[in-house]
Amino acid sequence: MDSPTYLALTQDAISPDDLIARITTPGTGAVVLFTGIVRGITTHGETRQTSHLDYEAYSPMAEEKMKQICVEIRERWSAVEGIAIAQRIGQLDAGTITTVIACSAGHRDSGVFEAARYGIDRLKEIVPIWKKETGPDGASWVEGHYHPAAGE
Amino acid sequence: MNRGRILLFATLRDYTGSRSLEMEIPAGTTVAVLTEMLIKAHPRLEKVRTSMMTAINREYARDEQVIPENAEIAFFPPVSGG
Repeated sequence: MDSPTYLALTQDAISPDDLIARITTPGTGAVVLFTGIVRGITTHGETRQTSHLDYEAYSPMAEEKMKQICVEIRERWSAVEGIAIAQRIGQLDAGTITTVIACSAGHRDSGVFEAARYGIDRLKEIVPIWKKETGPDGASWVEGHYHPAAGE
Repeated sequence: MNRGRILLFATLRDYTGSRSLEMEIPAGTTVAVLTEMLIKAHPRLEKVRTSMMTAINREYARDEQVIPENAEIAFFPPVSGG
């Protein structure tokens, strides 16, 4: 079984089509792709507007942790063939793709949906990337809540 | 004595005004002790004391972990990528 892995931490626009192509093998019959988008209007809780987000990364560690997520996915879902994880950094306006996690497999009932879900959840837990949100009232850092264990 | 470079990100960079700092790190210094040294040097970090995290050589570190010589040390808040 081919198991292509593609990781990117990039200033450039992310192309979902390109990522799908990179993880499509002769045995691929299903790709599940999650993409995060800069939300312009948040209605959860108090409604607020976001004009853009500024992303920064601790790049060498972020790349290591993205690799680790691929290992974790393959340990849990052996039917997953290809994995692509891309995170865009820099200033991203509302409506822009920020991240893509895509997993390929022979069939859709192979755990590939759960694998992609796991990928984005782990990215938000352990990959050292931060975003600062700018709206009509100014800018503030968005802080996560997860504290990884040592070595996690 | 080991002169170490500490990388800072996001809120911690704002609070210290620096992307990286140089500090004298005596042999045997643990992550917990280095954290105290950093807060003492930059008191604004007091407000993120309980949330800030440490990575040694690009891996999440324990408080009681001793900092090895020539380590790559980073302090940062909980991550918020995606």
